[in-house]
Amino acid sequence: MRTISPVVARTALYVFLISATILMSFPLFWMISSSLKTLEEANSPGIVWVSEHPTSAAYTDILQNGNFLRTYFNTIFYTVLALAGTLLSVAAVAYAFSRVEWPGRNLVFFLMLSTMLIPAQALIVPQYIFFHKLGWIGTFNPIIIPGYFAGGAAMIFLLRQAMAQIPKELDESALMDGASHIQIWWNIILPLCKAPLATVATFLFVATWNNLLGPIIYLQTVDLYTLPVFVANLYNINSAVQPWPTIMTAAVLTTVPLMVVFFFAQRFILESVVVSGLKG
Amino acid sequence: MLVAGAAVVFIILVSFALAALARFIAKSTGATQTKQANTFAGYLFAAPWIVGFLIFVVVPMAFSLYWSFTDYRVTANAAPNVIGFDNYTRLLFNDSGFRASIVNTLFLTVVGLPVQIAVALFLAVLLNQKTRGERIFRMAFYLPVILGFNTAVLLCWRLMLNTGTGIINQLIRALSAAFPPFGYLNRAVIFVVEIVNAFFLGISNGKFSLLIKVWEAGFPAANRVPLWVQSPLWSKMSVVFLMAWGCGAMMLIFLAGLNNIPKELHEAAEVDGANGWRRFWMISLPLLTPYIFYNLVIGLISSLQIFEPIYVLYRDNQPLVSSTISMVYYLWQASFSHFEIGYGSAISWLIFVMILVITAIQFKIQDRWVTYDLY
Repeated sequence: MRTISPVVARTALYVFLISATILMSFPLFWMISSSLKTLEEANSPGIVWVSEHPTSAAYTDILQNGNFLRTYFNTIFYTVLALAGTLLSVAAVAYAFSRVEWPGRNLVFFLMLSTMLIPAQALIVPQYIFFHKLGWIGTFNPIIIPGYFAGGAAMIFLLRQAMAQIPKELDESALMDGASHIQIWWNIILPLCKAPLATVATFLFVATWNNLLGPIIYLQTVDLYTLPVFVANLYNINSAVQPWPTIMTAAVLTTVPLMVVFFFAQRFILESVVVSGLKG
Repeated sequence: MLVAGAAVVFIILVSFALAALARFIAKSTGATQTKQANTFAGYLFAAPWIVGFLIFVVVPMAFSLYWSFTDYRVTANAAPNVIGFDNYTRLLFNDSGFRASIVNTLFLTVVGLPVQIAVALFLAVLLNQKTRGERIFRMAFYLPVILGFNTAVLLCWRLMLNTGTGIINQLIRALSAAFPPFGYLNRAVIFVVEIVNAFFLGISNGKFSLLIKVWEAGFPAANRVPLWVQSPLWSKMSVVFLMAWGCGAMMLIFLAGLNNIPKELHEAAEVDGANGWRRFWMISLPLLTPYIFYNLVIGLISSLQIFEPIYVLYRDNQPLVSSTISMVYYLWQASFSHFEIGYGSAISWLIFVMILVITAIQFKIQDRWVTYDLY
């Protein structure tokens, strides 16, 4: 049998890893690079890796654009509101499924897991009618409030798996001392679940920040637009030359919060939590 | 803001009410003090989900089941008329858009998912070799999942996939000119991709003239570049490209699977003289089948739901939409362009039933190929 020398194998491994890294992060590089180009460079038929006359004109323009700033504020406002309520309710429900024995728990848990098979979008039609009757079309409510009812079975499952690993004795002794379940949840369990909570918060943040379908269906007025809708509309179908530097500038500013959050949360996501979440 | 506060108050009140009700029932069935307390706490904490499930899942599904048998439209103020199975027969037999969305989903499942899973597995195996800077590599491979389907990033792909001036085609052109073998490979790939895509387009519209045309043009294709976001023969490939790029979540799952393989198995095989390649096929791959299965189930459901890439890449190019439309995109288009709620409800229910059937089939045939225990 032919054997490959370890040095060659090791070198090949690094070559593969580094080229895969370059390929995977290339769109990000291209986004930043294009945002600094001039209009001619961005639409040029030759390869322009990095602009020869880098200009930040697109950045100064867009930061003075009232619509863009309002959109940015809208997105932050709605993401923070949705995230806070969803995270709290998911944490509460995960507690019920992991730390308390109650009749019907297994049945409800099974129901919850089976909702993962229902694509959320298959419910948009009746939900639209429901929100229409409530008079919520043209407000942020339809994309914020449903999350408050512990939206996201996968998130509940992930947190439940983490909470189930905490020793039972902790809350038993606390119960002996007369603590209530709410106190145990808030003072003992949640502080012990910081890493899984950070993971769930990151996933929820990303899903809310990137959400496109909900905002296009429910928001309907330009004043309320969120970043994904605004950015999608920057691409002007009717013009022959696309303002790529402007679009890519908006794109960079849209992705910066995602990158910052990912940078701080990556160690929680990439380690153990997803692993333990799957084992159950 | 006000509504959000009201919702919170509502949830808390309902939760306490539900918990009190549960305790009352427990008490009247003669449960012990501790059991009553546990019932109260359990329902108190689970109530947000239970109430949400009723309001946002059960009731809407019941209503949409009823509406799917009616001609209900939200714009017309008339009461809905029951029309029996008309919506369903129209969908299944007379709706080319819906048929196209099924065929496109089939394409993404047959072509896209294997590509995505293969890339994820490849990256996971590379990462599993314990290298220096592993953390940076992992971050880089997972980042696309975070950025993933954000409109901003999709527009960047649109820029890169542009047929004439996009960087991807520029690179293909430059490489083809510099290395003739690469040019030949490019032409061969173009031929294969166009044949496969013409075949799927043929299934969806019943006309195979395009397939014959591509076939007669001969192998390999003429010296040109892929028409990523311009031709119906390529529009789905761009989505496959995006799927492969965003395979990080699947990769993490494979990494977990590789970590769970006992070291002793590999060590024993190494002593017996099996090389790395053989060990991968005989040990790692069979033990990874449960993870491949998991990725298949999840990947299939998400391929039915692809929405953002089609909206961003093709929405303004109507001829292309039908060649790449997903079921959820079709649902959105049908329900919210004409506000035909009855028809939209029928689509929702068909999608739902299909997911259930496909998932059931997957679970049924899994024991033929999924290994839970190797030895």
